[in-house]
Amino acid sequence: MFDKLDPRSPTPLYAQIANRLRVAIAAGELRPGAALPSVRHLAAELRVNPATVVQAYHDLESEGFLEMRQGAGTFVREVAPESRARERARQASALVRQMLSEAGRLGVSLHEVQAAIADEIGVGTA
Amino acid sequence: MTNIIEIRQLHYRAGKTFEIKQLDLNVPPGAIYGFLGPNGSGKTTTIRLALGLLRPLTGRITVLGDAIPDHAPRVLARVGYVPEQPNLDPVLTVRETLAFQAAFYPTWDRPWAERLVRQFDLDERQPFGRLSKGQKGKVMMLLALAQRPDLLVLDEPTDGLDPVVRRDVLSALLDYVSQRQATVFISSHLVHELERFCDWIGVMDNGRLVTEVPMERFKNGIKRLRVAGAPPTAAGAPFMLLAREHANGGAETWVVRDWEPGMAAYFETIGAALNDVIDLDLEEGFVELLRTFRSPRG
Repeated sequence: MFDKLDPRSPTPLYAQIANRLRVAIAAGELRPGAALPSVRHLAAELRVNPATVVQAYHDLESEGFLEMRQGAGTFVREVAPESRARERARQASALVRQMLSEAGRLGVSLHEVQAAIADEIGVGTA
Repeated sequence: MTNIIEIRQLHYRAGKTFEIKQLDLNVPPGAIYGFLGPNGSGKTTTIRLALGLLRPLTGRITVLGDAIPDHAPRVLARVGYVPEQPNLDPVLTVRETLAFQAAFYPTWDRPWAERLVRQFDLDERQPFGRLSKGQKGKVMMLLALAQRPDLLVLDEPTDGLDPVVRRDVLSALLDYVSQRQATVFISSHLVHELERFCDWIGVMDNGRLVTEVPMERFKNGIKRLRVAGAPPTAAGAPFMLLAREHANGGAETWVVRDWEPGMAAYFETIGAALNDVIDLDLEEGFVELLRTFRSPRG
């Protein structure tokens, strides 16, 4: 879930961790009631500052994705299907934005991007 | 709360060429403070001064609330120190080394030390001198952690270690920090390693502290800008211009510090165009910072 954390990215690490978890919850990979690793465990495993993990968990708690129970741990909350769909749509937009900005840097036109998408989908479903 | 390490107007000289001048340094409680700088910039000397192992000419040092060197023994009892070079008896086995160290620290956590021996996959019967470099690095970190310190002072703790060992050692360190909210002062020239977990950064060069800022501010504030049509002298800039280089066709690359998004408007006021704002990572920012610091002021 966390294999591609990039400390060099301008996106802060806490936001990267929160985003991975959001995606996993939206995709159903993390089920409601599932326990998340403790702050201590995840910080050691990812070799990040414990405060970074705490901040990621807090952000997701205030967005309603997680519940932090004192002394018991951090758990995935029951998330309405609509808000999971909304989160997936948000991720899709982010992917497209990222692709378009990269295309802009490389001087690839919108038309060429569209043709390439059609081509890829054609190949993928053939 | 007061700072865990506080250095004021420190002056130290060794020989005719090396000098630490007017050093002010602050490590806040709970920080993981990355102490960066090229080899020979004075990192190790500063650490040795902070622990009372060297005497300054002038200046004031406070660690964990007590003055150094006056109260060094009391302070050192609460500090886990990993020196740059291992300072252990090569003839003692790992087990004997642990027992020897434990005798000095009433706070020594024996069960945890034993767990770390297993976790680090160390052979307790081996003499320290026969261990590989990686195993020595693990023993040094183990000794510093098992005494349950309030402050860890680590001088290049992963220098020369392979990536797997570095990972194990740093994981154990962060595990400890999560449990105890200990403060960490870690020097390294492996910039990327520090980028992952440090929340404060101090940069040394040539015996002076060039900058000391929270990591986020350091990373957010240093940018590379693509600029076109700027006049030769850019007056009244709201940011600090570190470097300015000509690219082709009137375009230029600027490296700036203290950048904020709202500052883009500045380029209109000087009749120039800002075409791109590129984030620099810690290493690039560090290199640019040193380059400016070293170039003569114009």
